[in-house]
Amino acid sequence: MKETWNLSFINKLLYLVLYLFFFSKANAESYVKAGESLIWDSENKSYTANGSVEFKNDRFVAYADKMIANYIEEKNDEVFTIIELFNNVVIKFEEETFKGNYAIYTRDDNIIKLTGDVSIESPSRLLTGSELIADIDNNKRILNSSNNEPLVEVLLENNADN
Amino acid sequence: MSNYLTKRIINILLIIFLSIQVLIYFVNQKPLTKNFSQKTITVENFSSIVLSKSGITKIGSEKLNKVDDNNIFLKGKSYLENNDYKIYGKNILINLSKEISESNEPVEVINKMGLLKAQSFKNLDYDGKIIFEGNVEFVIYK
Repeated sequence: MKETWNLSFINKLLYLVLYLFFFSKANAESYVKAGESLIWDSENKSYTANGSVEFKNDRFVAYADKMIANYIEEKNDEVFTIIELFNNVVIKFEEETFKGNYAIYTRDDNIIKLTGDVSIESPSRLLTGSELIADIDNNKRILNSSNNEPLVEVLLENNADN
Repeated sequence: MSNYLTKRIINILLIIFLSIQVLIYFVNQKPLTKNFSQKTITVENFSSIVLSKSGITKIGSEKLNKVDDNNIFLKGKSYLENNDYKIYGKNILINLSKEISESNEPVEVINKMGLLKAQSFKNLDYDGKIIFEGNVEFVIYK
């Protein structure tokens, strides 16, 4: 009886470990998808994706009509440093959705800057403007109006307790 | 009178005949500008190396057809490998003088960043660019 219980427990534990392994792998996967073309320019160290572009990294998922991603070589690996998104830009980060006509993400400071008809949508509110600066590491959003004066600075709820 | 006429006709015929001979001689002197010899060379389970701007590239295929002096066709499963990438595809045409390789068949590419799958490719080696067309999926390594 005890042996059966042990086997059952080990089986469950094994399933749990496998599930966590594959779940974490699936979530951690980064990719670029393009509907029309992708150009790898090794001389200028960039990738240009065209047509229904989807980009995912460990922080966010982005959609746009076009993407230009610059990369550098780091310890024999290549990593994206700057990602530019053009036209119909939608970026999903946790519970928020950023929209705009153009976006630029810099890996060094983890900041996304959107311009054009910008909006930021969360479960509780929707804000619009002409420029949005999303500081992911510091959980800070700055939304500017068309006359470039600061309009709204939103501190998200999950950080409000700190 | 009849004898005179016959002599005249023979003379005229001789002149015409000689003129044709001279014409044929000069026409035949023209150098041949086109090379009509075209040998088809086919090699099976082929692999070799090509030196281009991006360095040494190893190429291989199930079958290699030499199209002409500048073009080779890698028929069936084929690959191109160098320090920057490994391209695995089918039916790849390589222009050696222009340093261009291309295929309209699905292709998989492995490079330092990840694994890329596309419907076709055109590798402009002299320019350091590879253009992938159709639905492209590039899974990036962690």
